[in-house]
Amino acid sequence: MLKQDIWLYLHFPLLPLETLLPQRPEELAQKPIAIINLQKNIQQVLCCNTQAAAWGIEPGLSISTALALCPELEVLPRQFEQEQQSLQQLALLAYSFSPVVILEGSELWLEISGCQQLFKGYDALLKNLQNRLKYQSISAVNGIGQNPLAAKLLCKSRFETQLPDQTEIQRRLRNTDINLLKTSRKQQQSFKQLGLNRVGDLLALPRSALSRRFDAELLTTIAQLNNEKLFTAPRFQPADSFRDLIQNPQGIFNKESLLFPMKTLLQRLCQYLMARQCHCREIEWRFEPLIGESQHMQIQLSGSQNNWSSLLMLSRLQLERLELPRSIEQIILCADQFIEAPMGMFNLDLFDDQKLAQQSCELIDSLNARLGIEALSQPILNQDYLPEQASTLAIPGQHSSAAYSERPGEKLKAPQPLWLLTDPAPVHLRNRQLYWRQPLSIISGPERLCGNWWQAEQQRDYYLACDSNGARYWLFRDTSSQRWFVHGLFS
Amino acid sequence: MPNNIATVLSRQDTWRGRSQRMPSRNISTGYNNLDLLLQGGWPASALVELMPQQPGIGELSLLLPTIKHYADNNPLCVWLDPPYQPYAPRLAAADIALDKLLVVRSKNHAEWLWAAEQSIRSGALLLAWTGSPPPRYADLRKLQLAAADSSNPAFLFSSPKALSAPSPATLRLELKSLEVNQLLLTVRKQRGVAGGACLHLSLGEANSQRTNLALLPADRHRTYPTQQLNN
Repeated sequence: MLKQDIWLYLHFPLLPLETLLPQRPEELAQKPIAIINLQKNIQQVLCCNTQAAAWGIEPGLSISTALALCPELEVLPRQFEQEQQSLQQLALLAYSFSPVVILEGSELWLEISGCQQLFKGYDALLKNLQNRLKYQSISAVNGIGQNPLAAKLLCKSRFETQLPDQTEIQRRLRNTDINLLKTSRKQQQSFKQLGLNRVGDLLALPRSALSRRFDAELLTTIAQLNNEKLFTAPRFQPADSFRDLIQNPQGIFNKESLLFPMKTLLQRLCQYLMARQCHCREIEWRFEPLIGESQHMQIQLSGSQNNWSSLLMLSRLQLERLELPRSIEQIILCADQFIEAPMGMFNLDLFDDQKLAQQSCELIDSLNARLGIEALSQPILNQDYLPEQASTLAIPGQHSSAAYSERPGEKLKAPQPLWLLTDPAPVHLRNRQLYWRQPLSIISGPERLCGNWWQAEQQRDYYLACDSNGARYWLFRDTSSQRWFVHGLFS
Repeated sequence: MPNNIATVLSRQDTWRGRSQRMPSRNISTGYNNLDLLLQGGWPASALVELMPQQPGIGELSLLLPTIKHYADNNPLCVWLDPPYQPYAPRLAAADIALDKLLVVRSKNHAEWLWAAEQSIRSGALLLAWTGSPPPRYADLRKLQLAAADSSNPAFLFSSPKALSAPSPATLRLELKSLEVNQLLLTVRKQRGVAGGACLHLSLGEANSQRTNLALLPADRHRTYPTQQLNN
């Protein structure tokens, strides 16, 4: 027997309102609020909260009627852009439940027949989904059917957390009022004339009779309801890069209050990363004030991350060093550098090496965030003769970790120091005695090093010297100027 | 209260006079007689304070085997505020993976302490050089506690002036050099053992032959009058 699809339709009746609420001060949520929408040049109530509903406000009322009913009604215009953004986030949330997600307009479908095992049963899945939506304070209603269209037709006015069995779904579909089918007025008229009241009546008619009476569009709908024709809508795919923002029209004045919206944004980012099964290499914060220039803050990761709490910790450390505008109206989080999530990231404890590597990446990142990248460096080896060019410092992680292969015979060379003075310190010659902090005497040498012959040629004779306490120094004499310098300490 | 005393006594970092309580793990220093002196090697999970009489006498060479051991197995070795720039060819010659080393420069004491504690807590091997003014006892205690939670020793290089001040470090060694490549180690504090033990350690070929400046080999590539040296 063919596997039966189970489609879940999600509808968010209060989405226009709930998108705007988090940006408003808390006390406003207690007031009656209505979202208005401009339709055919009339401003109509699109949705309202329960406080407003208690005053008798309902969707479809004109704004003047609504204000007459409730003078203290807070009226907010609908924000399409933010609504779309919320829908994208909800689709992302749905994507963490099922790989088959369809987002069309403001309608969201999930195909959940393959996800039973992961969530240990459909009921647990539905419950989990309900909780996740509740956590984001989004009210949703759902419908369940064998195809997307049926699921939409069967949409209830509440969130159903019990999956009905197949026969029950079929029975419900047949009993659905036929007028809920989206079709022309003319055809609804002919339903009436034919005495068709329920969807089941329509489906029971012979196909040949249907094709003579109704147009092609309705026939497609019927074919889809009978699972004979597939619902052709593109599947939802997470976007290629992440960009999200939180607006705060009241303005944020101190760094502590920034942390909460930042946490929310990072959680959204991590949800996105989970959905795409990847880790990010870099994130960028942008803090925009009402007036003036916005501030950027880039957080580079030496490894890769998909853990919001450590990202928050790094952001927080770096934020301490940032000069922010006085009041921040908008916080934007962007990320566009991703790598595939490494395998086995869920059982780090099994692989001790990986855990250590991750720990060191985290250490580099937090040092970077707190002290700045200029405070960190790694010695690197260059194939060069002059010591200051052979050994340089580089930003960690920027050079390849290719192992330096020691040439045979290299070890026979004169001893080399452990410390190098960044700038060679001049040595004084007093009464035929070399003097740098203390009198120095030569132990061995010289070793001639030449370099830079293509520009300013340097010829140096390196000597090993020591002082009376036994500390060893690396001296050189520049052959052209005959002056002595200390270039290193052996330690 | 007896309960509390028991918990204090069960800690690794509580010093108990003459009792022979030893740290559970030691890490070989790479020098046999030093291992003997330290009863197995550097104490793991502890702060080790090294006080060289002056920089350059071989205090870093002493740690090279330890650094190599850690660089081979551990992800990172943090050098916090080293007095000079580490010379890569020498480290590479000692077979130390350079990408395991991280040099960190702090701008003030708060940053120094924070970076040191972070490094210890994230399992890196820490080599920290103290600046002036020297860190306070409470700061060092913080590092010692962090080290007690980790599984590595943490090395602190301080000036010999610090000897006069108390330190929570598990092991304090004073380093002196009488001759080139000859290091005189004096134990100033060691858990379970009275301090004062000395050890003469040879760090390599002893070549203490002095050369008179005037007798240096003549430059074969350029001729110059010998008087020039006398100026």
